[in-house]
Amino acid sequence: MELTVQVNNLIKVYGKVQAVDDISLAINKGEFVSIVGPSGCGKTTLLKIIGGLVKPTSGEVLLDGLPPAGRRREGYLGFVFQNPVLLPWRTLEQNVKLPLEILHHNGLYKERITKVLEMLGLSGFERAFPKQLSGGMQQRAALARVLLYEPSLLLMDEPFGAVDEITRSRLNFELLRIWEDFRSTILFVTHDLDEAILLSDRVVVLSRRPARIVQVLTVELPRPRSLDTLNLSAFHDLVRWTRDRLNNAPSV
Amino acid sequence: MDQRQIKQRAISIAIPAIFLIAACAIWEATVRLAGTPVYILPPPSKILAEILNQNLSLLRHTGVTMLESVLGFLAANCLAFALAVLFAHSRVLEKGLYPYAIALKTTPIVAIAPLLVLWFGTDMLSKIVAAGLISFFPVLVNATKGLRSVDEEALDLFRSLAASNWQIFRLLRLPNSLPYLFSALKISTSLSVVGAIVGEFVGANKGLGYLILISSYHLETPAVFAAIVAAAIGGILFFTVVSLVERMMLSWQEPSEV
Repeated sequence: MELTVQVNNLIKVYGKVQAVDDISLAINKGEFVSIVGPSGCGKTTLLKIIGGLVKPTSGEVLLDGLPPAGRRREGYLGFVFQNPVLLPWRTLEQNVKLPLEILHHNGLYKERITKVLEMLGLSGFERAFPKQLSGGMQQRAALARVLLYEPSLLLMDEPFGAVDEITRSRLNFELLRIWEDFRSTILFVTHDLDEAILLSDRVVVLSRRPARIVQVLTVELPRPRSLDTLNLSAFHDLVRWTRDRLNNAPSV
Repeated sequence: MDQRQIKQRAISIAIPAIFLIAACAIWEATVRLAGTPVYILPPPSKILAEILNQNLSLLRHTGVTMLESVLGFLAANCLAFALAVLFAHSRVLEKGLYPYAIALKTTPIVAIAPLLVLWFGTDMLSKIVAAGLISFFPVLVNATKGLRSVDEEALDLFRSLAASNWQIFRLLRLPNSLPYLFSALKISTSLSVVGAIVGEFVGANKGLGYLILISSYHLETPAVFAAIVAAAIGGILFFTVVSLVERMMLSWQEPSEV
């Protein structure tokens, strides 16, 4: 298997507070891995370190063999945040195209943008400004923005945490459908176990702060997954089992 | 829909107009009934007559004052924005200069105006500097704030794409600062007119400030009022122009209130 993400003995200390404690992790190319853990445990910090936005105190991150700083320039990385982070002065289409402008890929993606917008049900809203869109549509636009330049690694930080339950469930299935198409590697932070298990190949369970890996769970539910997956007893067993691990996570 | 908008626009003009007419009528009646001497408080009819009577000369004085205001406004705000860009990128520079900017801001322009006339002469330059000094700070403060107060996650988004500082400035900080910038510019329009008139009070041979001073010496109160009306209209026009530019550039957001 080809390794996309390699995390070796990562430690992050902010002043006197230790956020991440000796985390090592290897993620295969095309894998969907979720990170779950109690809120404030350092999940976001871990994700930002992997994406090169935060420097670790010690340890290293390799993305296809190179440190994150070297990869960002190539459009290798795609972040999706809890908030859509759309620029209010840009139309939906201009927002979606922003990464192309920054990466100087302008003009190459005319057909692709149509396809991506269509895939996410955003066709016809190209000229709308963010404030004219619902929360769900804004988050879809954020997804379109990142899918447009086809990053090899998607880092998603509770991307559907701010939308309502129903929208969230729909977005989950859309993400699955898209991922089965694009097959980029996804690292998905969430505090929702159902979501993590529904989406992932593997779920990494973190402890309370400082974040330590308690368990790595392999989800062997059949793909493609659908609404029916949620009714499988195997699904519920996995959720229950993981919840126990999470609740019994040793705190420091 | 369109017709309703037109109707609403008409109402929003008609209501203040009716109030203005009513206020003038009450003013006119009160002054006449009380027999107030014209040099204390002239009735609106006398002021209007004075405006019509003076027309060209009043227009010329107004033109001078507005030119001083606009030039001071433009020069000062270009400088203020440039300084704001420096402040937004260097904490050291901001920490070092900001206290002095505030100190200069809190010094009343009236106190500085005589010096300005001494240094820059009784011609237009001293008024331009006065107008500039007074309209400098709102833009400096607001633009610095606007350039700085970008969303942390938006910055992360740009960084995750290895955006250069120039890209972050051009695509994020600059557009983010525009609403802040324009609310300061609108405040600065009226301030710059104040600055120009104060400059003219100290030493000038033309402009509305000069007109007000000379007319009040001679107890020509209707002329004083005519100059005040002219200054007000000039200020409103200036404000309107800046508001229009704002609406064109910031069509994506609701017009901000001052």
